[in-house]
Amino acid sequence: MTDLSHTALLIVGHGSTENPDSSGPYFDHAAAVREKGLFAEVHLAFWKEEPSLREAFYMIDAEEIYVVPDFISEGYFTQEVIPRELELDGPTTVVHGKTVHYCPPVGIHPTMTTILSRRVEQEAPDIRREDTTLFVVGHGTALNDNTTRAVKDQAALLAERFPEFAAVHPTFMEQEMFIEDWDKHCETPNAVVVPFFIADGLHSYQDIPVLLGFEEDEGLPASQKDIFRQNPYQIRGKTLYYTSAIGIEPALGEVIIDQVHTFRENHL
Amino acid sequence: MKISQRLSQAVQAKVDRIGQVAILTDTQSSPYALCHQQDLDLIDSLTVHRDPFAAREIAKLDDEGEFRFLKAALNLKRGWLLLLADEEELRQALDLFYPAAVGLWLAREDGRLHVQNLRPKLKRQTGMYRFAHTISDEGAQALVAKECHPENCSKMILWHLDEEVPLKESPALCKEENQSARQIPLLCEEACNHLVSQCRKVAKAEADQAKAL
Repeated sequence: MTDLSHTALLIVGHGSTENPDSSGPYFDHAAAVREKGLFAEVHLAFWKEEPSLREAFYMIDAEEIYVVPDFISEGYFTQEVIPRELELDGPTTVVHGKTVHYCPPVGIHPTMTTILSRRVEQEAPDIRREDTTLFVVGHGTALNDNTTRAVKDQAALLAERFPEFAAVHPTFMEQEMFIEDWDKHCETPNAVVVPFFIADGLHSYQDIPVLLGFEEDEGLPASQKDIFRQNPYQIRGKTLYYTSAIGIEPALGEVIIDQVHTFRENHL
Repeated sequence: MKISQRLSQAVQAKVDRIGQVAILTDTQSSPYALCHQQDLDLIDSLTVHRDPFAAREIAKLDDEGEFRFLKAALNLKRGWLLLLADEEELRQALDLFYPAAVGLWLAREDGRLHVQNLRPKLKRQTGMYRFAHTISDEGAQALVAKECHPENCSKMILWHLDEEVPLKESPALCKEENQSARQIPLLCEEACNHLVSQCRKVAKAEADQAKAL
């Protein structure tokens, strides 16, 4: 077993300046990893909250740091923003005297499909899958194809693993196939929508419910609503189940650790 | 020496405050304790917490339930007492109240704090924030004076517009005057992403105005 007891783990999340729930899952993931006692230190840094990526270095004692992006895919943030902010120029970089290893993001881990499917099992355990269309929803962005590909890949994997679903569609907030048109692509009486996001923040608690049609406006943040306890919704002639984002899955702590091991196998 | 050990030494040498948080030592109940500095006379009536991670929930919302995404805003809730077992718990709690503040302070003491001026920070942005760097000097100065006003954020600004253009005098630059020698300063070594986001909005407004003319 690799000895990581002299190293630090830095988990990077997106966060939000508007939604207090957005960073919750990252703190949970860090706590889960801390409990394992593998690393000397476990820290968090955010794109939109504090500490920022550049500030985070000043919190760390260890001379060797593993950085794991807690993001659902390779993409604009993992390939451009995070390396720029952390001043990385490859898999391993020496930054201000510290050795920094940049690990793959959690979203490309092989268990993602299982984690997504558990959201469905949790929120709609008794649904007849033959009468159900499953929608995986991501953000969609013109900045980087990888994020879009991640959602499409997961939809394809879910369709392969669960052929009993009538259909599985990748959908997006900001590009085709738009999630707001879900009912046009739903030939079954039931629909299950799974947000492919880490956090139940602005998008999954506020924006997507409006796009799906069961919330009228952006409204209160998640922690002040019972969106997931009100499943199913009768909307647009269908019975719709809306799951929470994947960030609440306890397995993500293990995924983060796994991404460190994957880095070590590939680069050290 | 670890950050937590240096913090402990500083506290033993009478450092007793960071931001709105008072740092207490050798209390009857624990080696270290934290409370709101306005609650020092109300210790016996405060709600007691013993988990350093309680600091996250305490610092998350203000008294009106609004999200405190800028932790150096002067609206930290009152009414709590956080009892901490050792220097690691003290450091963990302070990193949740004021993320990275202790480490930034020690880095400045050591002469290894990297300060980045606003223009280079804006120049390195990409994607939707790339446009932020077109903000005029006037626009940037006014924005800093407004967004970094002590009413919004109590961090001490260490940067300027760029190497040649200092920030103009305003209350945003006067925060050091209010700090005692026994206080760990809250340092701003580069503009935060909130300010970058605001720079983008101002830059776009300036560009729209120029097109309209």
